Amino acid sequence: MLKQYPTLRFILMRGGWYFITFLVAVTINFYLPRLGKHNPVDIIMGKSGSGMSTEDARIKEEMYLQEFGLVKVSGSGATREIVRDSEGKPVRTTGFEQFVTYIGMCLKGDLGTSFQKYPKKVVDVIKEAVPWTLALQIPTIICGWIVGNVLGAMAAYRRGIFDKVFFPFALGLSAFPFFVFGMLLVYFFAVGFHWFPAMGGYANNVIPSFSFEFFSSAAHHYVLPFFSIFLILAGGQAIGMRSMGIYELGTDYIKYAKWLGLKESKVLAYLFRNAMLPQITGLALSLGVMIGGALITEMIFSYPGLGMAMLTAIQNNDYPMIQGVTLIITTSVLIANFTVDVLIGFLDPRVKAGLQIGKGN
Amino acid sequence: MMRSSCLKVLAVGALLLGLVSCGGSSGGEAGFPRSKTLYLAGSQWGDPNTFNPLVENWQAAWPVNDRFNLMYEPLITYNSLNGKFEPLLGTLVSSDPDKVVVDINPAAKWSDGQPVTSADVKFVFEIGRRFRNAATAFAIDFTKEILAEKLENGGERLTFVVNKESRNNPLVILDHLQAIRIVPAHVFEKLLSDNGNDLSAVQKLKIDKDPVVTGPYNLENYTNERIVLKRRADYWGNDVLYGGKEPAPEFIIHPIYKNNDHFAIALQQGKLDASQTFMPRIWLKKKDGVKTWYDDAPYFVPGTMPLLVINTTKAPLNDKNFRRAMAAAINYNDIKELAVSNYASDLEPGLIMNQGLEKKFFSAEDAAEFGVKHDPELAKKILADAGYKSVLKADGTLDHMLDKNGNRLPTLSIMVPAGWSDWEAMVKLAEKSLRAAGIDVREGPVDAGIYWSSHGPGNFDIVMRKLAENVTPSLPWGRFEAVMSTRNWLPVGGDNWMSENQGRYNQPGTPEYRPEVDSLLKAIPTISDEAQLAAAYRELNKIFMQDQPVIPLCYLPEQFYQFSAKQWKNWPTSDNPYAPPLLPWVGASTKILWNLQLAK
Repeated sequence: MLKQYPTLRFILMRGGWYFITFLVAVTINFYLPRLGKHNPVDIIMGKSGSGMSTEDARIKEEMYLQEFGLVKVSGSGATREIVRDSEGKPVRTTGFEQFVTYIGMCLKGDLGTSFQKYPKKVVDVIKEAVPWTLALQIPTIICGWIVGNVLGAMAAYRRGIFDKVFFPFALGLSAFPFFVFGMLLVYFFAVGFHWFPAMGGYANNVIPSFSFEFFSSAAHHYVLPFFSIFLILAGGQAIGMRSMGIYELGTDYIKYAKWLGLKESKVLAYLFRNAMLPQITGLALSLGVMIGGALITEMIFSYPGLGMAMLTAIQNNDYPMIQGVTLIITTSVLIANFTVDVLIGFLDPRVKAGLQIGKGN
Repeated sequence: MMRSSCLKVLAVGALLLGLVSCGGSSGGEAGFPRSKTLYLAGSQWGDPNTFNPLVENWQAAWPVNDRFNLMYEPLITYNSLNGKFEPLLGTLVSSDPDKVVVDINPAAKWSDGQPVTSADVKFVFEIGRRFRNAATAFAIDFTKEILAEKLENGGERLTFVVNKESRNNPLVILDHLQAIRIVPAHVFEKLLSDNGNDLSAVQKLKIDKDPVVTGPYNLENYTNERIVLKRRADYWGNDVLYGGKEPAPEFIIHPIYKNNDHFAIALQQGKLDASQTFMPRIWLKKKDGVKTWYDDAPYFVPGTMPLLVINTTKAPLNDKNFRRAMAAAINYNDIKELAVSNYASDLEPGLIMNQGLEKKFFSAEDAAEFGVKHDPELAKKILADAGYKSVLKADGTLDHMLDKNGNRLPTLSIMVPAGWSDWEAMVKLAEKSLRAAGIDVREGPVDAGIYWSSHGPGNFDIVMRKLAENVTPSLPWGRFEAVMSTRNWLPVGGDNWMSENQGRYNQPGTPEYRPEVDSLLKAIPTISDEAQLAAAYRELNKIFMQDQPVIPLCYLPEQFYQFSAKQWKNWPTSDNPYAPPLLPWVGASTKILWNLQLAK
């Protein structure tokens, strides 16, 4: 049907596969935390202090089970009643029943109420945290990617002293675990020289608002977290780009371009475009691990973001929170990968040629 | 060309960076000036979820959680230094085995101008009669009813009648009076009736917009990074309790850090004025102005003891000889020196501290006669006498243990929350000395989720816990109750939730059951004669040392009270003990706020 539009067909096919992947991922994200035998209500009970009689503990436990939709309930409002079996024990909802409720709520844009951050809504937690995570990670990753690749390509092309200095440096950076690097930044630039603050997303005495004050404070707090990721990422990207570049330099088209006497920048542009393809896939992958990476940054710099929310949710079997955060991660990873897939389709002549052949059939 | 554009990018980047660092250092004073702001930390770790005083303690954000009295206030406060009760919303008149009498302060007012009345007190103390699942529902098990009578000065006299049919425990009523904060009945009754008398609907409200409070501060604003309180100009207590003086700081900010190191950095940089977090080797931070109650070791005042709770239903832990051998094997001095930076004096056997308010109940004679101290040879002897055998590897390290019938014993695990570094350090050192004495245990770090959910049903071999961690009027009774009471005894596993004695010590109905434990636990709160009380405590501590149901590891302070005098001075210390060593947000230490002075 879409044979005359191979590109559109390619995009739709890919999109279809990504949608199926999405459904599978959501289902796995739902069931995975429930596989552990630990009941989230037990955790809450554990924190609710001592001195409760057995009867009080039972009443409290039932209240939470009901609140979190883990037992069957009849009626509504103040007349809600827990459905009980013949022994008077509350009837638990099955995983599948919870899944159906969850999907129904998701379609209405409701991700539920967090167990641990009760009575906060999961959507609110995500809304508060995601802007910080995105504002730190996206520019860092993109800048690191661009700077790393440009420097890597230059190192490959120029060789000589630039490469001899740059390559070991980049190799060293990329091999550095970035939490160690982050701690070193704090040690030198925050504790030692007092140039930048050691922690937080903005100064404690500033009110978050659209004011110069807030933005300058946020920018000041942005520097160390930014560099903790940026430098290491750029180092890693540069290494990859340099190897790809050296490989491409030996290819016939570059030699031919040089023989033709093309300008250096033109040859470098050819080189860049071809060596870049695997690097683009790498970019999509680094966007995918963004939230996990954010956690480390958040811990080192007490920076706001989604990573910590996810960690505490997982530690506490906070089902709605885990589901909500993994939904965001799944969606962003899939979107990033899908975009790269489509981009590669346009950028890689081989993929493009494949599409053209498809057209011929 | 490529190079020049690269250079441009770098130049622009450098310029932006320069701008940012200038902007950051110059700006930021407008919101909350440093000279008017007190920075306190260590009580709020995650996002603030709600400021509703009717939710469970751990669910609410600072300062509505725990026992903090900056927004909502209790009737009285307890001075953990001298054991005296100090007036707040009320004044303690008397307490005896039948009743506790408190006069409401006639000047006490809510921030909306309404007076504090017996209706407010009854609302929160008697909420359990209306909603059995309310956070303070437990109060009715102790207080049968609250009788109110008008006094000539316009105030009210409240008589808390001891619930003899239920818990019969006036001691815990005193605990409640200093811990349960009074909430405005007129506000919450209206919220309840607006929500169809559904408590869980009211619990979902965040109560973060102009809450009606009695305390000296109120919520100004909050984000996930910090909570800001503002001084109330019309606080009723300024005139009545502080001779017309206002608290010194206009704002109190609680920054929320995600990393323990940040408290130390902030204190050293003067960005934080006080914190209650564990900082190892505090003497190294002295040069940067970090101070503590005592200038030298032990730096802090002991108030609590972290302990190993033992699952006494599981072999070989069900054998008291084995437990006593464990207690003799552990090197407490190592734990004190290496894990908690010498922040306490030497541990004595038993569950009663040999100092402070508990000293009068401590018997050195009994400790020497019935208790065990660190003595690896004694540990080996107790094990050998009881028939246990430690099998060693070729290199002399422990391989496994055999019981008296020659059966191999499983390796025991000490459960501890992964990442709680000071706790893990204590457990690791305990593990080391236990293994050296031939006892097969290993540290078992687990996720916080597993940790919290395992206590109640007793799903552990040994678990590290800090019970009765606040210094309250009911200590040391509260500590004994937490580890020895069989009031709610249930077998291990399933839905069998026990909130005290989670190690299932002293199972009723078995030949080893010692009924005197429960009768002493029941009797102590009603004994008013000091000599009788000391004798009862002696007896209980003797049983504890004989049976060793849990193993205390060291003494620790109730709070790691550490402060910096860079911005604010006149903090209480051992030289100037005008308030207990607690941050100025709880108990009798809130008065620090009226005593602080600007350092410059």
